[in-house]
Amino acid sequence: MGRITTNSKIAKDGGGKELADQKDLDAFVTQVTRPGDFDDFWERVLAGLVEVPLEPLVAPETMRSNANVDVSRVYYRSLDGIEISGWYCVPTQGEGPFPAVIHYPGYKGEPGMRRDWGRKEVVSLTVAVRGKLGSNDDFNPGYPGLLTHGIEGRDTYGYKGVISDCVRGIDFLLSRPEVDPQRIFACGSSQGGGLTLITAALRPEIKGGVAGYPFLCCYPESMQMLRSYPYDELTCYARANPDRVEEMLETLRYYDAVNFAPRIKCPMVVGVALEDEVCPPGTSYAAYQALTGHKELWLFPDSGHGNAHEYPAKETAWLEQQISKSQTGGSND
Amino acid sequence: MTERGTDIDGMWDSLDRQLEQIPLELEQERDAFYSQSEYDVYRLHYTGLDGYQLFSWLSIPLSADGPVPALLRMPDYGSVHDIVYTPLRSSAVVMNPTHRGQRHSDSQFQAEYPGLLTEGIDRLQTFVMMRVFADALRAVDVLLAQTSAQVGAVGLTGQGLGGTLSLFAAARRPRITAVAADTPLALGHPDVLDHELVYPLDELNDYLRVYPHRSEAILASTAPLNPVTAAPKVQVPVLLSLGSRDRGLCPLPIGEQLAARLPDCDVRVYDGGSEGGGHPHGVVRAAWLRERIGLV
Repeated sequence: MGRITTNSKIAKDGGGKELADQKDLDAFVTQVTRPGDFDDFWERVLAGLVEVPLEPLVAPETMRSNANVDVSRVYYRSLDGIEISGWYCVPTQGEGPFPAVIHYPGYKGEPGMRRDWGRKEVVSLTVAVRGKLGSNDDFNPGYPGLLTHGIEGRDTYGYKGVISDCVRGIDFLLSRPEVDPQRIFACGSSQGGGLTLITAALRPEIKGGVAGYPFLCCYPESMQMLRSYPYDELTCYARANPDRVEEMLETLRYYDAVNFAPRIKCPMVVGVALEDEVCPPGTSYAAYQALTGHKELWLFPDSGHGNAHEYPAKETAWLEQQISKSQTGGSND
Repeated sequence: MTERGTDIDGMWDSLDRQLEQIPLELEQERDAFYSQSEYDVYRLHYTGLDGYQLFSWLSIPLSADGPVPALLRMPDYGSVHDIVYTPLRSSAVVMNPTHRGQRHSDSQFQAEYPGLLTEGIDRLQTFVMMRVFADALRAVDVLLAQTSAQVGAVGLTGQGLGGTLSLFAAARRPRITAVAADTPLALGHPDVLDHELVYPLDELNDYLRVYPHRSEAILASTAPLNPVTAAPKVQVPVLLSLGSRDRGLCPLPIGEQLAARLPDCDVRVYDGGSEGGGHPHGVVRAAWLRERIGLV
């Protein structure tokens, strides 16, 4: 399997079984390294996106709206001109411009609308990245399938578009008069956690974020530790294409959240479940370790992937606190 | 609570008669990409109610010799159902069927989320969820028709919608051995129209906000899908998990009614979110299913 090596202490089926506490997490050292032209590559991607007209559209959804929130389906253009959709919730009470929370989706599920933020006088945008319902007319690799789509090269990899869609979500928010451009926050779990880290690294307009159980971290180790999807898609690809493992791993270096983390300047939380059987805890922790700004680590000892009972409330409370600080002119750094 | 026992039984009997008359037309294709050294993965295509083309993932352990326990995981409420990835796949037949509207079963109809729960809800004849339930029964029939392995004890499992589909399939198919249902979707229970809810059940309230005069029609269309009504017919052991703060799938008072009406129910209530137990219950569920379907 090419250059893949792993820490034998955690290289057991299930990944999380051997990781009892932070001491064990500290023992995990990723083999992932940052390509020398990593920043140049992504600056080129961002520069290319600027050339794509955003063409934002807002289509009200009467059935989903209520007394507290106006819900709309929104659309905008992203990489290769692909139309991306999202759920957009605007408070009906209070005076704008409002702070905003952008939600990034998990790997296979449909992103849900977050009407609950409307009651708190916060705008929310949930992005359906390419391939998801509402954004799959021109790109639809499926689930499983997305993780290996075009993985032969960094410019053909499907996640180049997925990440671009997240970046363009920020542009959509910046195009809206009801959004305060100084108070944009981000969150997501699993793939959404990885995309939160990556987008915060690419867009300084994000003033704080919560990345739960982040996927897209430490690919080489993840595919060796686990027998569960989605990472297992990579293992299946490697088995079917042994002559392409090197180029697959090379592509993934440009898409590893661990390599994005040092670029993040805003406060960031990383949530890690110690029984996570989908995103090995050590790999999520590696992303936390790579952060250089203000950061918090939430450990959930008796929880698996995405199911820590206290996580949703903690995520909301932390974001509310950050929003409140920004309202009073406090620093989010 | 609305109980229309005779009518509902007759409706389900009629549905089963319709299914019996439709050939499965099963096509089974080994997926070399996802098959591994301990098991083969298959893509199944078959025909459901109204001639609808349905899809399922299936894995069969290569060590299979004689009757093999089977685990069928009914789909959750969402567009994607996982490819099989339970650790049991090395020693059990594992099937993850999709229902109409989900990915791979969406050539004729693509479900919306939110939206599926109220699609055609004005009349039972047009209510898509009725057909979703028929697709779940069809999946069990496909599993039992397997010739690639000799299917032994059959466990059903699922969360939310998948939990309710599991209970209904066990009520209608005597070959089922055990059911592990997490927070079964309480669609059809009249009390869900009176609660402050979150999705997916809140889709009903969205609908009623726009069509306030249609509550009776909703109750009539959903009543046959009420798991509390079906519960006494589930004659196999059930492991049921509930969340004390669940407002989107199976609010606790309804879950407690369900538990009381299931003849053989081991109910676990978790003081957590809506998922009914998270990781701790996952451990309980795996051990419980292993024991019930005879996996060592």
